[in-house]
Amino acid sequence: MAENVRVIPFWGCMIPVKYPQMELSVRKTMEPLGVELVDMDGFTCCPDPIYFKARDKVQWLTVAARNLCIAEEAGLDIITMCSGCTSTLLEAKFILAEEPELKEKVNQRLKRIGKEYKGTVTIKHIVVMLRDDIGMEILSSTVKRPLTGIKVGIHYGCHLLKPSQIMHIDDADYPSLLENLIQTLGATPLTHTEKLLCCGKGCLDDNMPLQMTYEIFASMEAVGADCMGLICPTCFNSFDIGQILISRKMNRIFDLPVIYFCQLLGLAQGFQPEEVGLHLHRIKIDKIMEKLVKSESVEFAL
Amino acid sequence: MSDKQLDFEFRERLNRIVGGDHHNYCYQCGACVAVCPAARFSDEFNPRDILLMTLLGREQELISADSIIWKCTNCYSCYERCPQDVRPVEVIIALKNMCTQQGVLPDNVDKFSEAIIQTGRSVVITSTINRRRQALGLPELKDVPVEELKIILDE
Repeated sequence: MAENVRVIPFWGCMIPVKYPQMELSVRKTMEPLGVELVDMDGFTCCPDPIYFKARDKVQWLTVAARNLCIAEEAGLDIITMCSGCTSTLLEAKFILAEEPELKEKVNQRLKRIGKEYKGTVTIKHIVVMLRDDIGMEILSSTVKRPLTGIKVGIHYGCHLLKPSQIMHIDDADYPSLLENLIQTLGATPLTHTEKLLCCGKGCLDDNMPLQMTYEIFASMEAVGADCMGLICPTCFNSFDIGQILISRKMNRIFDLPVIYFCQLLGLAQGFQPEEVGLHLHRIKIDKIMEKLVKSESVEFAL
Repeated sequence: MSDKQLDFEFRERLNRIVGGDHHNYCYQCGACVAVCPAARFSDEFNPRDILLMTLLGREQELISADSIIWKCTNCYSCYERCPQDVRPVEVIIALKNMCTQQGVLPDNVDKFSEAIIQTGRSVVITSTINRRRQALGLPELKDVPVEELKIILDE
């Protein structure tokens, strides 16, 4: 077991309100890894890096800085579970370091509520914490039921990796973070043509987001994926219900379960699908469970 | 694009918005177009064209609720690729901020951000949510300090 890691979870809005199954999977899977989640009161929306930022960048920076202050006061790192939150909090930190005058302006506003943003807090997406602070060896030591034979189509999403100047997480064109994590769970990570394509959620258009989702699923299907593995609730929203919309509007059935990374980790740690909330997804994971049970019985027979 | 009148006043206003000043660095190479998913899926959207219109100061074409800028996917691929540090997506977001200043924000963008100011969250909480969370064994969601938000956002 690694030294006890204590971090502040920044849950954001989508996960606790819309997809609490993702929060459940994080809480379940961090315990065996010795990660202590120190929940803090007072966080608001990060705020979202698309609409709120489009309205007013200074307001966007101010709200983000207020959130960061809460973690600074507690003296602990933040982990994020959503790529949007990761993007907002890391970019706000970057801009406020790049432009001291702006930082001053933001701090004048924060002073009204007795806060001061210093710029000392570290923000990491949970998968980055797993790679950098926990490590593959410890991660693999908690795997009780390797996901042998499960082919996971990888979807990075945009905001974890780009811009790399700010995110500092992985090569934005040839990333390996999710491949390595998924391999550690015993599953087979699948690269595919549209692995890095945007889910389209931030685009104000009736057709384009669905077309992007379509291409991503066609690309995963072409390489024989059993499911999709991802790390962002906004992408999940595009893809889980998105497949239903595609079947209605474009008359094409994909039926590939969309699984948040910590849910995959939970299955590998031996939790039942319901224990990590997989029963709440629109696209069901029955076929994957059948495949897992089969590969377990083969191992038993050997 | 044959009109030779450049609107520098518009560009100066854009320079004052966070990230807007980087539009000046654009030398129209088109690296952003090659990596842009919106350009791939739309015949109209082209980040180089948006930057050119910005350099020319075409305010009327850029600043409106149905401007092409709203079809940007916000994927940051152009930011990643741009050799001039233009950060095209950030210039586009600065142009969106100008839409706010002129009161021509698309309705859903306005309502969505207003909800964040009013409730502190981007997803509205209904009575079923805490019941669903309880069924999953998750702690109840607490109220967020909306008052503090209003104080720091007061212009």
